[in-house]
Amino acid sequence: MNDKSTWEFGTRQVVYGAIGAALYGAFSLLTNLVPLPAAGNITFRPAVAVLIFFGAAYGPWVGLLAGLIGNTLGDWFAGWGFYWNWSLGNGLMGMVPGLIVASLKDFKARATIVKAVGWGTLGIAVGMLFASLTEMFVGGIDLSTALVGYFTPAFLGNFVVTVILLPILMIAFAGVAARRGR
Amino acid sequence: MLATFKYRRRATFIQRLDPRTRFIFMVCIILALTIPEIWDYRIVFPLFLLSLTLFLMARIEWKDVRRAFLYIFILVFFIVGLNGLLSGRGGPSSVLDPNSPVLFEVPFKIPGTDWGWMVPVTVSKAWFAISQMTRMLSMALLAIPIPYTMDPNIYGTAFKRMGVSDKVSFTMDLAFRFLPTFARDLTITMDAQRARGYEMDKLKGGLVARLQRLAPLIIPVTMQSTVTGEEVIDAMDLRAFGTAPRTWLKDLHYAPRDYAMIGLGVAIFITSCVLKWGFGIGGFFVPDFFTQALVG
Repeated sequence: MNDKSTWEFGTRQVVYGAIGAALYGAFSLLTNLVPLPAAGNITFRPAVAVLIFFGAAYGPWVGLLAGLIGNTLGDWFAGWGFYWNWSLGNGLMGMVPGLIVASLKDFKARATIVKAVGWGTLGIAVGMLFASLTEMFVGGIDLSTALVGYFTPAFLGNFVVTVILLPILMIAFAGVAARRGR
Repeated sequence: MLATFKYRRRATFIQRLDPRTRFIFMVCIILALTIPEIWDYRIVFPLFLLSLTLFLMARIEWKDVRRAFLYIFILVFFIVGLNGLLSGRGGPSSVLDPNSPVLFEVPFKIPGTDWGWMVPVTVSKAWFAISQMTRMLSMALLAIPIPYTMDPNIYGTAFKRMGVSDKVSFTMDLAFRFLPTFARDLTITMDAQRARGYEMDKLKGGLVARLQRLAPLIIPVTMQSTVTGEEVIDAMDLRAFGTAPRTWLKDLHYAPRDYAMIGLGVAIFITSCVLKWGFGIGGFFVPDFFTQALVG
């Protein structure tokens, strides 16, 4: 891939941050009506794999902006309103896997895919924990509800999505990048 | 299935407001309800009426927002409302007051067995469900009109003028421009996959089964978008994007009505904080009239 500096924020990051946000918003809209079982107001979101892919492929700023703006867009256009803590949690979910962007070279390699899935899982844990815990202040819930009712189903749902879809996205991306030559 | 921009210019008070004013006012109301954790109907209901009034003043046609309201009613009434009614989930611990009169009990049993438990629906949970729904609608009603009443070309300028950096503002601007494009790409891809025999409409079954149906849609659209991205980067680099502070074509100016709205929003936020932390007003409680209406 390209010469990558983890915290670089140039034209590439601006464009892919916007594309990631638009994709995350569009895919979230597609599935916003599919709730996770026993998960309050948390929905099934395959788009999470796209968000983590953008973080891992283009860096932490792209992941952060894609999650933050994308979640806001998806919620707005679905008519749900604006939930700053879930948007920021989604941003963190994309940002954490972006921290290893400089070390990901061959997107087809098994080790690279495992590493991306591992950091993606960490991102899901950090992002959803942040959103669930801040819901204690925003929604006035208690700690056990935050952990059992919000964090656990959100984490498990997003984890399954990431484990299944992220490797496919990475292998497909390796092919596209090879054809493009950069 | 997917939204595209429904923005139309209308001669309304809401559209005459500066976009920054609308964002700031919305944030003030959200913070007023969430930071001091306001549940008191004497504060929540007036804020709901204020949000509803502003929503109606936007004069958005019902056919435009019908789908948005379908989403939000499902979320608010079925998911949040039923959760609140049955479990009190999403509220302070006082919602689960064991002394609250029980209205009825809902049986939860394992099918084919007598194993299970009865979930009591109390007056406290019923009032909480109403408060929770009103609280969420108060915030949502301010956000719903934005895509319909705010020019998509003005988002970048609005965020820039609110102090956000050029690059982040431009990211916002681009994201709003890309969203309808990707929504169209999704529709085209969905049609193409349907022609090949894929069934993506019925998202039933477990997580893996749902993902299997969505993967042929998500992967091609995502990969195509990465190719599109390279073309946009080339175009922006050729125009020397990011080499110097940029100028923005549209200019924004606050009018007296904007100062009035921002002042109102800030006043609501400060009042909520003072009432809650200064006078202990704003927490959850069940009003007597509601208890008497339900249990006499």
